[in-house]
Amino acid sequence: MFLKTFLTAGTVVASIGTMAAADVSVMLPANPGGGWDGTGRQAFAAMNEAGIYTEGVNFTNTGGAGGTIGLAEFQNSQSDKPDALAVFGAITVGSIMLNSSPIDLSTYTPIARLTAEHLVIAVDAKSEIQTLQELVDAMKADPGAVPVGGGSAGGVDHIALALLAQSAGVPVADVNYIPQASGAETVTGIVNGTLKAGISGISEFQQFQDQGRIRILGLTAAERRPGLDVPTFKEAGYDVEIANWRGILGAPGMPAENAAEWIARFDQLNESEQWKKVLETQGWDAFYLSGPPFGEFIAAENTRIGTVLKDAGLVQ
Amino acid sequence: MESLEYLMHGFGVALQPMNLLWAFIGSALGTAIGVLPGIGPALTIALLLPVTVSIGPTSAFIMFAGVFYGAMYGGSTTSILINTPGEAGSMMTALEGNRMARRGRGAAALATAAIGSFVAGTLATFALTFVAPFVAELAFVFKPADYFALIVLAFCSVAVVMGNSRTRGLISLFLGLGMGVIGIDNMTGQPRLTFGQAELLNGVELTVVLVSLFAIGEILFVVSRYDPGKEAPLVVSGKWMTKQDFSRSWRPWLRGTAIGFPMGTLPGGGSEIPTMLSYTLERKLSKHPEEFGHGAIEGVAGPEAANNAAAAGVLVPLLTLGLPTSATAAVLLAAFQNYGLQPGPNLFTSNADLVWGLIASLYIGNIMLLVLNLPLIGMWVKLLSVPKPQLYAGILIFALIGIWGVSGSEFDLMVMVLVGVAGYVMRVYDFPIAPVLIGLILGPMAEYQLRTALTAAQGNPATLIETPISITFLTVAALVFIVPMLVKRLRQRG
Amino acid sequence: MTPATGPRPYWLAAIVIGIGLIWIWGASSLPPASRYAGIGPRAFPTIIGGALVLLGIILALQISRGMSFEAQEAENADAHAPVNYAALLMVLAAATLPILTLRTLGLPLTAMAIFALVARAFGSRALVRDVITGAVLGSLAWLLFDRLGLQLGQFLPIAGF
Repeated sequence: MFLKTFLTAGTVVASIGTMAAADVSVMLPANPGGGWDGTGRQAFAAMNEAGIYTEGVNFTNTGGAGGTIGLAEFQNSQSDKPDALAVFGAITVGSIMLNSSPIDLSTYTPIARLTAEHLVIAVDAKSEIQTLQELVDAMKADPGAVPVGGGSAGGVDHIALALLAQSAGVPVADVNYIPQASGAETVTGIVNGTLKAGISGISEFQQFQDQGRIRILGLTAAERRPGLDVPTFKEAGYDVEIANWRGILGAPGMPAENAAEWIARFDQLNESEQWKKVLETQGWDAFYLSGPPFGEFIAAENTRIGTVLKDAGLVQ
Repeated sequence: MESLEYLMHGFGVALQPMNLLWAFIGSALGTAIGVLPGIGPALTIALLLPVTVSIGPTSAFIMFAGVFYGAMYGGSTTSILINTPGEAGSMMTALEGNRMARRGRGAAALATAAIGSFVAGTLATFALTFVAPFVAELAFVFKPADYFALIVLAFCSVAVVMGNSRTRGLISLFLGLGMGVIGIDNMTGQPRLTFGQAELLNGVELTVVLVSLFAIGEILFVVSRYDPGKEAPLVVSGKWMTKQDFSRSWRPWLRGTAIGFPMGTLPGGGSEIPTMLSYTLERKLSKHPEEFGHGAIEGVAGPEAANNAAAAGVLVPLLTLGLPTSATAAVLLAAFQNYGLQPGPNLFTSNADLVWGLIASLYIGNIMLLVLNLPLIGMWVKLLSVPKPQLYAGILIFALIGIWGVSGSEFDLMVMVLVGVAGYVMRVYDFPIAPVLIGLILGPMAEYQLRTALTAAQGNPATLIETPISITFLTVAALVFIVPMLVKRLRQRG
Repeated sequence: MTPATGPRPYWLAAIVIGIGLIWIWGASSLPPASRYAGIGPRAFPTIIGGALVLLGIILALQISRGMSFEAQEAENADAHAPVNYAALLMVLAAATLPILTLRTLGLPLTAMAIFALVARAFGSRALVRDVITGAVLGSLAWLLFDRLGLQLGQFLPIAGF
């Protein structure tokens, strides 16, 4: 037993030493350990295991500003390269507008949308607000008195709340949204009364509902979710559907045959047992869409998020 | 004493030879990477994440426990020996620790740091074992106004590192505050003072400023006034802590732990505020205040203990609630999720082996690091007898690797040169360095908490003094710092 | 406070005031207030800029009154020694060099050059030994830390690996 571990330890240390230079470069525009970092690394690990693509991959982590810093660097160094890919997500779309970034996502080659996490809105477990309807009514009556916390300004959480307000007839600019430095602060803010409500990914909130600290009122998905007895926004009468999705882009100017090849590889990955296992352990929801339809999806998100940010007064 | 039973079981897991081996590998790796400036426990664990997928969760977390504490040991070593703090938490250590090393008391400084870290780590792990669920509730008590008051209190620490001129001290502070507002404004998402540079959207990297001001500025300053012929023979004594050192250290260790541990459990706490508060407290309480700034051992013992206790405190809300309150905790949470595990109350019952094995290995890791590091002190101190030309050349290379290895960005290297030159000018014209960093660290925190508190209260400033906690902190700040200043003024007048 | 001899460093005050003005100017294009907080993204940069301008003026007054600046004491450095600008520039060059060479020449070669430059600036005559030490140090550091996952770039990009 001891010997076996010793050998494993040996392989681990040795495996550190065998990373070879590779011809595929993947930009992970986030710091090591974060969601995008995991998405990129796990996807290629699963691809390797499933035998879809077994050559070396060279990852670069450049975090910050919703991925715009990493993508700007990616665009500068990798444009027109045949095998350069980047991870990005819903947050990138809004960040590009907020930071007046020169990045234009429509020039990139859409490869595949991989995963999504839907959002939930929650209040303190002791709050008198019992339903989404009641929360929206409170916002209508006095939006300033209902501070709602969530992720970064202009991020998916913020957009979701703005869309909810819009569909309920509350002026988006009046919504009292307070970006929190971390999901932990959103949860503690709800519980200690600083925030009347909070909005975040399901995984960040569900366990705190299980612990009896907060009450989840609504879900931004199209359908209810097994294991979470919460109505969707649509059921409650607000036509809002939004997810924090993550996907893969090819470099601007990627040759068509390489793009087709990578789309085929990700199509295969999506079907593979190895990827399904990753989704299960990580708790990610599959949200697969590849090729040109994914490009159309990005364009649609771009329009929708752009309108909301203008209404919120964050972008001119 | 149910916990005790579980803990014994945990020791059964952690003491298996293979897990001991993992703890050892973790401690060694953590120390090695922690020595690089700019690379703390969060990044070290994040880097090791992909490597650990092939080993089981219990072994992986036992290794992370070693990395976690090991990186902290590495950080204090460079602060003390070469005046290059690697991360914000060890900045205060550098202030007194490096002075001690220069006076030939490097071994004592390293020893009080190591033993203090051990004491704090062990006590904090003890608290984690037995009172974690109660301490964790603190996280839900603190409101933005309370954090703001706490930060105001921490700002008072500037007063004790002001240097010879109040004007120049304040200029240093405001330069740091000024750097702190660069980047995306988190309340509105708008870029501030980025001058169109995409690299600045993320703000000025704290560790780059830290390393550049301390290490690069120092190298430039020393070389410009260096006379090889007149090199002062540095007393490199491997002499350890004396009895007097011990009697001056043990109270700071305990006080540092008491400050650091609860603050580590807070989502907005971190390790910076407790180290600053601990340093200030020790300076105020010391029987030898005149030694501060020239190598007072209390100024090493307290902050080092606070730093380690805060790091352990982070584990409390993570393990008991599943609430990640720091960058390191967020990475550990990702590590749990890699194994399909969700930290929180259920984990204690569903994966008792893992949780209690991890807690037990925190004790073991601490002992292991102490045993590893104490004998190494003699070797570390010898580092100082490397001839100066080669020593400073090596320091520059390590500073460079730290900065380049984290970001891989030429822009950060340019910031390094620019801030390094600023550090040189500041040394020549006697502007203190520490206030810059205090401003850069606390400024953004203060702004964020203040604006959050005001937004939630719809602009009513009374919200800042509505809770007992905020009133307490603000009163302490006023009593300890403003009142003595007024008294002094009045006396001078009289 | 002894009166200063030699030139008075008004430029220090000018830099401080300059930075303050840039901060005030940079903040002026930001929205003044958020909807509910009362203070917006403009407040902090403006206050900080204003404080720097004020402090800069005070500093200028102090300088005009003849305030002296005692350089800080550091290990192995005599604060009153004449400034060796050649050595200073050499180290500055060593610190600037990696901006140009880290990506193109790789860490070991860069470390070699830096090590030799800094050691020379400090008066070392053992050029060959310094060059070797630098190369070895850079290579060992690359082997250890790159393999642990830091992004240190290629080992020797001109040779293609």
